[in-house]
Amino acid sequence: MITAIWDQLKGLYSLIVGMIVTGRYFFAPQKTVHYPRKVVDPEDLAAYRGPLELTRGKDDESRTRCISCQMCAKGCPGNCIKVVKGTEGKLPSTWVYDFSLCCLCGACVEVCPASAIDFSHRLYLVVTSREELVMDLLADLKERVAANPLKPAPDVPAAAGQKAADAPSAGAAKNGEV
Amino acid sequence: MELSNISISGLIILVIACLLVIALMVVNAIVMVYAERKGAGFIQRRPGPYEVGPWGTLQPVVDSMKLLGKQIFVPSNVDFFLFFAAPVLAFFPVLLLFLPIPFGPFLTALKVPDGIVLILAFAGFGLLANLLAGYASNNKYGVLGAGRAVSQGVAYEIPMILALLAVVFQTGSMNLSEIVEAQGRWPWSWNILCQPLAFFIYLVTLVAETNRAPFDLPEGESELTAGFHTEYSGMGFALFFLAEYANMLLVSFVCATFFLGGYKGPVLDGFWWTFIKAYLVMMFIVWIRWTFPRVRFDQLLNINWKWLLPLSILNLWITAVVVNFIGK
Repeated sequence: MITAIWDQLKGLYSLIVGMIVTGRYFFAPQKTVHYPRKVVDPEDLAAYRGPLELTRGKDDESRTRCISCQMCAKGCPGNCIKVVKGTEGKLPSTWVYDFSLCCLCGACVEVCPASAIDFSHRLYLVVTSREELVMDLLADLKERVAANPLKPAPDVPAAAGQKAADAPSAGAAKNGEV
Repeated sequence: MELSNISISGLIILVIACLLVIALMVVNAIVMVYAERKGAGFIQRRPGPYEVGPWGTLQPVVDSMKLLGKQIFVPSNVDFFLFFAAPVLAFFPVLLLFLPIPFGPFLTALKVPDGIVLILAFAGFGLLANLLAGYASNNKYGVLGAGRAVSQGVAYEIPMILALLAVVFQTGSMNLSEIVEAQGRWPWSWNILCQPLAFFIYLVTLVAETNRAPFDLPEGESELTAGFHTEYSGMGFALFFLAEYANMLLVSFVCATFFLGGYKGPVLDGFWWTFIKAYLVMMFIVWIRWTFPRVRFDQLLNINWKWLLPLSILNLWITAVVVNFIGK
């Protein structure tokens, strides 16, 4: 009897704790980003999984690290990756990625022995047809490196430059400082 | 004005009061839809309605326009008369319930000696409307929701009446104006202080009586789609919605009258105090809706029969003993 009453009182106390939590949340700052007027802070996109991109090369940034081993293409459950080995060493001549088939599972990123692919932070991707979702990632890598060229100094990690390249256009002015 | 010798002027006052109450119900629904969605948003750290009008203030208006324009779909094999009678039956008794509430010292539409009896008696009509809606719509979810609504409403009515009865014992009157007059201006002379248990019981039962979360079993979405109003679209649904918010407002007004000093306030007595107190209670109901998960049905009935009912009887008994032997 007494334990039953005590349990009920403890239950009531837990209700009050819950109300304090929601009451505090009520006055806490909001997390919503009002998209067309504001964009997400690039820092918050660090863990965002956008469409795939090729990571920058070690010496020559515009050269992919891909060794055309086909592990990603074989591991992909949606068959959205097509890699063709070229004539120049192990480098691929074609690297086509169909984002309309991709389920963003990350099997290719995990399996890649050369760490040549990674998720981009392209949050604001908009296309008007399915064909535009088939991306040539080699050209994409070249474009990105051209737009945001070599590492400014060897001690700055490559990831920072990468993030700057993927930031939306509204944040581009901010990234000039990087 | 007594009910027995009703005059022409009294009738005119009644008609005006009814019109004012309808206006209050509609405005209240619009305000509460907005306040509820904003409250839900803030608690979940998002802005709620934001795009329609400044800070989304036109959202409820646009919503009601949408409801007005929707097709009224009638499923096959419904009980046609009851199907359309139920939303009306949910909406109109609430009109009567607002009449005996003393909004201000002179602002009472129907000064009846037993106001609370009138309110408690006609509050049962809402329950009947839920039952008819679920029964008539030829839908198993509807029938289940109606069954739940009835067993919940009948169960929670008892501790509610007993909690209010404790205050009636203490005041020695069932007239709502006299109950307000018996309380003082300052918060420490309100009934909430000498009847804290009754206030708590009433607070729990009013959430259950208005079918609000965490006691919204009759329309539990995860189990029953929408419960008794599953098959209602357009204005049928809107009338149920209107009635729900009007019922919320009513129980908040009764709460303010019985426990929070009604129209009496520290500075200047008047209807503004009634409204401030009632809407604070409403915001509290919104707050708990977005905090607590829905209870299970056996838990719902256990809370009532095993805790609220014995506690309210105990509270009533103590009140009776104190009033009888010690005085008010």
